[in-house]
Amino acid sequence: MRLCLSAAVIGGKISSMISKLAGGRGSSLPGVVARRIYPHTLRRLSAQGNRGIIMVTGTNGKTTTNNMIAGILQAGGHRVIYNQEGANLITGVTACFIRFSTLTGRVNFDYASLEVDEASFPKVVKEVRPEIVVVTNFFRDQLDRYGELDKTVQVVKQALKELKDVTLVLNADDPLVAQLGQATGHNAVYYGLAKQEGMERTVAQTRESRFCPRCGEELQYNYYHYSQLGDYSCTRCGFKRPRPDVEGTGVSTTIDGLRARVCCAGDCYTIAVQTAGFYNLYNALAAFAVGRLLNIELATIQSGLERYKPAIGRMERFRYRGKPVFLNLVKNPTGYNEGLATLLSLPGSKDVFLALNDNAADGRDISWLWDVDFEILTRHLEDLQSFTCSGTRAEEMALRLKYAGVPTGKITVIPSLENAITAALQGEARTAYLFATYTALWPSQNILCRLAEKEEHHAVGMPSVS
Amino acid sequence: MLSVCHLYPDLLNLYGDRGNVIAFLQRCRWRDIPVQLIELNAGESIDFNRVDFLFLGGGSDREQNLMAADLEKHKESLREAIEDGLVVLSICGGYQLLGQYYRTPRGEEIPGLGILDHYTVAGEKRLIGNVAIEMNLDGQSIKATGFENHGGQTYLGSVEPLGKVLAGYGNNGKDGTEGARYKNVFCSYLHGPLLPKNHQFTDYLIKLALQRRGIDKQLTPLDDSFEKSANNTMLNRLLK
Ligand SMILES: [Zn+2]
Repeated sequence: MRLCLSAAVIGGKISSMISKLAGGRGSSLPGVVARRIYPHTLRRLSAQGNRGIIMVTGTNGKTTTNNMIAGILQAGGHRVIYNQEGANLITGVTACFIRFSTLTGRVNFDYASLEVDEASFPKVVKEVRPEIVVVTNFFRDQLDRYGELDKTVQVVKQALKELKDVTLVLNADDPLVAQLGQATGHNAVYYGLAKQEGMERTVAQTRESRFCPRCGEELQYNYYHYSQLGDYSCTRCGFKRPRPDVEGTGVSTTIDGLRARVCCAGDCYTIAVQTAGFYNLYNALAAFAVGRLLNIELATIQSGLERYKPAIGRMERFRYRGKPVFLNLVKNPTGYNEGLATLLSLPGSKDVFLALNDNAADGRDISWLWDVDFEILTRHLEDLQSFTCSGTRAEEMALRLKYAGVPTGKITVIPSLENAITAALQGEARTAYLFATYTALWPSQNILCRLAEKEEHHAVGMPSVS
Repeated sequence: MLSVCHLYPDLLNLYGDRGNVIAFLQRCRWRDIPVQLIELNAGESIDFNRVDFLFLGGGSDREQNLMAADLEKHKESLREAIEDGLVVLSICGGYQLLGQYYRTPRGEEIPGLGILDHYTVAGEKRLIGNVAIEMNLDGQSIKATGFENHGGQTYLGSVEPLGKVLAGYGNNGKDGTEGARYKNVFCSYLHGPLLPKNHQFTDYLIKLALQRRGIDKQLTPLDDSFEKSANNTMLNRLLK
């Protein structure tokens, strides 16, 4: 058996080398090859951990949350395996273990922290036994249409039910996620955000689910953060937002990142994360909750979070001739709305770049663009100097902005990503902000790495404990 | 003042279809035609005779059932307004609902509102992809593009198709027709959404709405270069 495992690992490693030589990223290919040689590769490799396995699933924020968890665990001195590139199908998860494995199939780790695609989750948990499962949120993705969101929630719920001895870390503010506690009967820790003052939100924003996941009645909300996230209750069956065990308050956003108070078991602490975007606070709270569950010291959790560096396209920062440049992946209306809110929260003038592709991985149907609240831009036009639209559907992107009310004189269409990014960087604004759909992200990052400097984060003071 | 009514925006807000409402409103505003938006949600009442343009989209099964139950209560007043020339655009699920019935895979017939003479049958596979159609507006032929994604296949009775399929599936993937037209009711499977990049069609709907109010004049021309280039991108891809 060890021979089979070894053959699979070697096969995987070789395919990864060949693929990299050929210029590919090769993030899941080793998994494909190894699983074909020996179907139990993942089961055997993942069972060798000294402590436990953490999984992160949900629609948005998987990569960021997982990287934050890994950062906290590493800060605690643990050996951690994690799929940091976001290869989150079963082949990608397998590949992640292969990378850390010896040629004989030995892998030495304390914790594995794995982001897992929602649809792949049932398959992965058949081979890998998690001790903790984090569920971030459920939104409609550009690829799920016509009631598929309900199906996704069902699939995850069913797979969770079949697990034994697992603790769930659930977003209290998302009714679709919070219901999983009672529905699966597992131990659950909830995280959420208290009411925030001064949030700019418009009613036009798509709410994914306004109905009680238990009885179907329309939910009542005291307040919304975004999409269906907020403080909700059902008047018919009594289902309501669970009291968060880990709750964020007093969020402030600056160009260097986010700061918030986190209250947990009667005490409050300050956390700082070096990434913009209000939604990233949810990811930090989830990682914080995981750290507490694993009995990691508070100061370690805080410094782990501070060390977090955005993964590719998750508010990734560059500098072009001294000017800050942000790259942001967008893949669904909720994520795009949050990206726009982040753009508008940054001080000073901006040049904006928006790449829209309609390849299979982006979603061939780009109708979802019209569910994004671009109208919000028109309230801040004086700060928004130019809009450069690019990608395979650049013209449609420009059209969306026009109908949102952006003056056409500020909009330029440049289908070539390279030329468009160059134009955006050379704008006269204080910062440049780049949005890209999935298949436009990697080429955009490559171009940025050539034209601009990738920014390494600097420490912004010590975390304070109070 | 033109009144635009968006039916059940709270329920049917998932498929980019609100872009149709945005396009109609903006193209009126850019011409200084006074226009107001009425959003009708389930349980609310409305007088369709006071509406100039009605938009009905589609949603997931659950949402569509809720909308069908509510619309049933408005059926007679809607029928009356349609006979009187109310301008309606109905997409996908809304299109199916205006017809006679929807036959499920088990052969069960769920009745529609029965206002237009077409029926829909559940198909074996979903019809998904980019579409180009040719339609005739007042003797002028235009090419429109959009994206379809429907499990139901629709067959027309005594109503005209909206257009002829140039690329894609259309109503049922067999007879080359797309959508339906009856009086001033226009139905289609085209998401995308349909109106923003098919601006001639939008303007045609605005003209019809004005005519119904006794205003018969040429619309002020607008700069349509963005619309044309978005439409041409897809036409060039599909009709090469
Ligand atoms: Zn309920």
